[in-house]
Amino acid sequence: MKKFTLGSILLTSLILLAACGGGGESSVAANASGSKFPEKSIEIIVPYAAGGGTDTLARSFADLAKDNIGEPVTVVNKAGGGGAIGMQNGLSAKADGYTVSMVTVELLTLPHSGLAQFTHKDFLPVALLNEDAAAITVKADAPWNTIEEFIEAAKKEKLKVGNSGTGAIWHLAAAAFEKETGTTLNHIPFEGAAPATTALLGGHIDAVSVSPAEVATLVESGDFKVLAVMAEERVESLPEVPTLKERGIDLSIGTWRGLAVPKDTPADVVEKLEESFGETVQSEEFKATLDKLKLGYRYENGEGFTTLLEEQDKLFGDLIPSLNLN
Amino acid sequence: MDSFIQLLHGFETALSLGNILYCLIGVSVGMLVGVMPGLGPTTGTAILIPLTIGMEPVSAIIMLAGIYYGSMYGGTITSVMINTPGEAASVITCLDGHPLAKQGRAGVALGVAAIGSFIGGTVAIIGLAFIGPSLAEWALKFGPPEFFALMTFGLIMVIGLMGQSLIKGLLAAFIGLTLSLVGMDPVSGAVRFTMGVPELMSGFDLVTIAMGLFGLSEILLGMENLSNSEKPAKVKGLLPRREEWKPTMKSISRGTGIGFITGLIPGTNSVIPALLSYSVEKKLAKDPSRFGKGAIEGVAGPETANNSYSGAALIPLLTLGIPSSPTIAIILGAFIMHGLTPGPTMFQDNPDFVWGIIASMFIGNLILLFMNLPLAGVWAKVALIPSKLLYPIILIISVLGAYSVNNSLWNVGVMMFFGIFGYLLKKLDIPMAPIVLTFVLGKLMETSLLQSIKMFEGNLLLFFNRPISGILLVISLLILLASIYAEIKNKKSHFASDVEM
Repeated sequence: MKKFTLGSILLTSLILLAACGGGGESSVAANASGSKFPEKSIEIIVPYAAGGGTDTLARSFADLAKDNIGEPVTVVNKAGGGGAIGMQNGLSAKADGYTVSMVTVELLTLPHSGLAQFTHKDFLPVALLNEDAAAITVKADAPWNTIEEFIEAAKKEKLKVGNSGTGAIWHLAAAAFEKETGTTLNHIPFEGAAPATTALLGGHIDAVSVSPAEVATLVESGDFKVLAVMAEERVESLPEVPTLKERGIDLSIGTWRGLAVPKDTPADVVEKLEESFGETVQSEEFKATLDKLKLGYRYENGEGFTTLLEEQDKLFGDLIPSLNLN
Repeated sequence: MDSFIQLLHGFETALSLGNILYCLIGVSVGMLVGVMPGLGPTTGTAILIPLTIGMEPVSAIIMLAGIYYGSMYGGTITSVMINTPGEAASVITCLDGHPLAKQGRAGVALGVAAIGSFIGGTVAIIGLAFIGPSLAEWALKFGPPEFFALMTFGLIMVIGLMGQSLIKGLLAAFIGLTLSLVGMDPVSGAVRFTMGVPELMSGFDLVTIAMGLFGLSEILLGMENLSNSEKPAKVKGLLPRREEWKPTMKSISRGTGIGFITGLIPGTNSVIPALLSYSVEKKLAKDPSRFGKGAIEGVAGPETANNSYSGAALIPLLTLGIPSSPTIAIILGAFIMHGLTPGPTMFQDNPDFVWGIIASMFIGNLILLFMNLPLAGVWAKVALIPSKLLYPIILIISVLGAYSVNNSLWNVGVMMFFGIFGYLLKKLDIPMAPIVLTFVLGKLMETSLLQSIKMFEGNLLLFFNRPISGILLVISLLILLASIYAEIKNKKSHFASDVEM
C-alpha cells in the first residue's frame, strides 16, 4: 500500500505542475520608460521553427541590428499553429518594445481562415524586411514553354500543382491564379516547399507554385524552368521570366516578412525601433545577406508596411472565403 | 577508380588542421544535442548556421554535417541509460537498450551501438562516394503513392512488435494512430481533435511523447521501489559475449542496408529505418520473445540503420540538390549561403569541396567511434547512480528537453501527461512500442494517402498502376494474409488466452 501512496503523491504533484504550466504568460499593461529605450536586450519572436527561411532571416537581421540599436538582439522560436502561436505570443507580451514579433503573410491569412484570435490591426508594423512572389515552375522538359501554353493546357486537363500546405500562401497563390485565369487545377499539398519541389523533380506532379528562391538550385541545374512570377516587377534573379501582369493577368501575390509590436506600445519606443531597424534593413550588409539566402528584398517603414497590410488584407478577405477550406 | 583518386584529394582538404578541428567541434556538438532530449540535430544546425557565415565554405559544411551525423551517436546514450530518447532516431533504442542497462549490460548496449553506428555510417559514406549518384535518380521515383505503400508495409511490420497479447498490441496501435490524427488535416486543412487549443494545431511532438511514455513513466514506476534500496547491477564490459557476436554482426549488416536504402528516399526520417530494422530483426530472430527484454540485435540493428541513413540521406542533397529531411534542408541553406549549388554539377564544378566533405565524414565517424567506445564505460556508470539521485536528474533533463522543443511550457505539460498515461499503460501491461511507431507511421501514411487520392482524383486502383507502390502493397497484403493464416493454424490458444483477460 505504501508503494501506491508514494506513486499517487508523485502523480498528483505532476498533474499540479502540468496545470500550472498552462496560463503563465498573460500580458500586463505597458508602462514603458520610452525616453531611455532601449536599456536591455530586445527579443524577436519567430513564429516558426529554427532553421526555416523566416528563422534564418530573423537571425541574420538580429545579428546586424544589435550594432545599430546598441543592445543585444536575441531570437526565440515559438512555432506551432501555422504561425498563430508565435504571433499570439508576441501580441500578449508586454507592450514595451523589448519583445518584437516577426510577422509574416500568415498574419493576414490565418484570421481569414478562422485559425487565429488576432488580426493585423492588433499589431503596429515597424519594418518590412522581405518579399517573395509566387511563381509557376515546371520541369525543364515539360511541353509548356510559356505561361500561356500552361494556361491553355490547364483548361484542357486538370494539372497537378504542388504547394506547401493547404491554406498556406502558395496554395492561396495557386488558387488565386486559378480564379484569374479561369482554369481548374488539382492542388496537391505537401508539408513545406521542399517536398513539393522534390515531387516535381520526380515527375509526380506537373508544377509548383512556390517562390523562385525555393526552386533556385533546381532552376540553375537545368531541371526546372520558371514560366511566370506573380510579382509587380520581374525578379532580379530571373530577369528573363515575365510577370503575370506583363501577360495581362492582374495578379501579384506572395509572402513577406516584417517586424511588428503590440498596438499599445508607446509612440516614442515605436519611433526609436522604426528608425534603428530601418537603418539595419537598408544597410548593404543586410541586402547582401538576403542575396546570399536568395530571399527577395523589400523595405517599407511602419507607414508603408501598414498600407501593404491593408491592401493585402482585402485580397485575402475576398480570396480565402471563396476557396471553401475546411 | 576516378572517384577513389578524387577521394584521396578530398582527404588532403579534410586533413588540414583547421578542418579536423571543425570536424571535431561539429561531432562534439552533435553528440551533445543528441544526448539532450528535445534538442535535436535540426535545432543544433539551425542555431550554429549564423556562426558559419564568416567561415570557409568547406569548413562550415564539415562542421554542420558533423553535428548532423554526430547526433545519431549521442541519442543512444540517454535511450539506453535513462530510457529517455535524446532524439527521434533513438526512440527505438529504448525498447531493448534500457532493459540491457537494467541487467548491468549498459556498456554492451553502448559499445554495440557505437560499433554499429561506425560501420553503418562508414559504409553509407562509401556508398555516397561510389554508387550514390546513380541510385539517387532511382529514389526520385518515390512519390506520394509509393510513400503510402512504404508506410503500409511499415505498419504491417509493426504487427511483429506487439508484445505477448495481440489484443493489447492492437489497443496500443490504435492509441498511436489516434494520437497521430490530432492536428490539422494535411489536405483539407480541417482542424481535428484540438479542442480549441492552438498548440495542438500542428499535432503532438514525437520526442515529447516518447520522453513521457518511456522516460517519465519509468521514473514513476521506479518510485514505487525507491524504498527497497536495491543495489544497481555492476557494469560489465563493452563487448558482447562470444556467442552474441555473430547475430550482432548480422544485425549490423542488415541495419546498414536498410538505413542506406531508406536514406536515398526523400521525405523519410531517421525513425523509419530504425523501426524497419527493429521489425526485421525481431522477425528473423530465433526467439522473438527476447525482444523488449534486452536483445542485443534490437540495439545493434536500429542504431546502425539510423547512422547509415544519415550518410545516405546526403546523397539526394549532394547529387540532386534536394533536401530529404529538415536537418538536410538546413544544410542545403548553408550551401546556398556560401554560394554553392548542390546538384549534379557540383561534383564537376567544386570537386575539392564535395570530396573534402565526404572525406571529413570518414574522419568524423572515426572520431565518434573513439569518443564513444572507450567513453561508453564512463557513460554506463550513470547506471550506478542511486535512484534517489538519478530520478530528479532525469526529471530535470526531461523537463528542460520538453521545454526546448518549442520554448514553451506546453510541451512540458504534454510530456507529463504522457508520463502518467505511460505509467498507467505499464500497469496494464500494454506495450509502448506500437504507440510510438504507429504515431510516426500514421502521420506520414495519412498525408501520403490523401495526396495520392488527390493525385488520382479518387481512383484508388491507380496505386497498382505504379510498379513500386503496387509491389509494396501486394507484399504487405501477402504478409498480412500469411500471418493471419499462421495465427489461425498454429495458435488458436493464443487468441483464447487474450479473450480471457
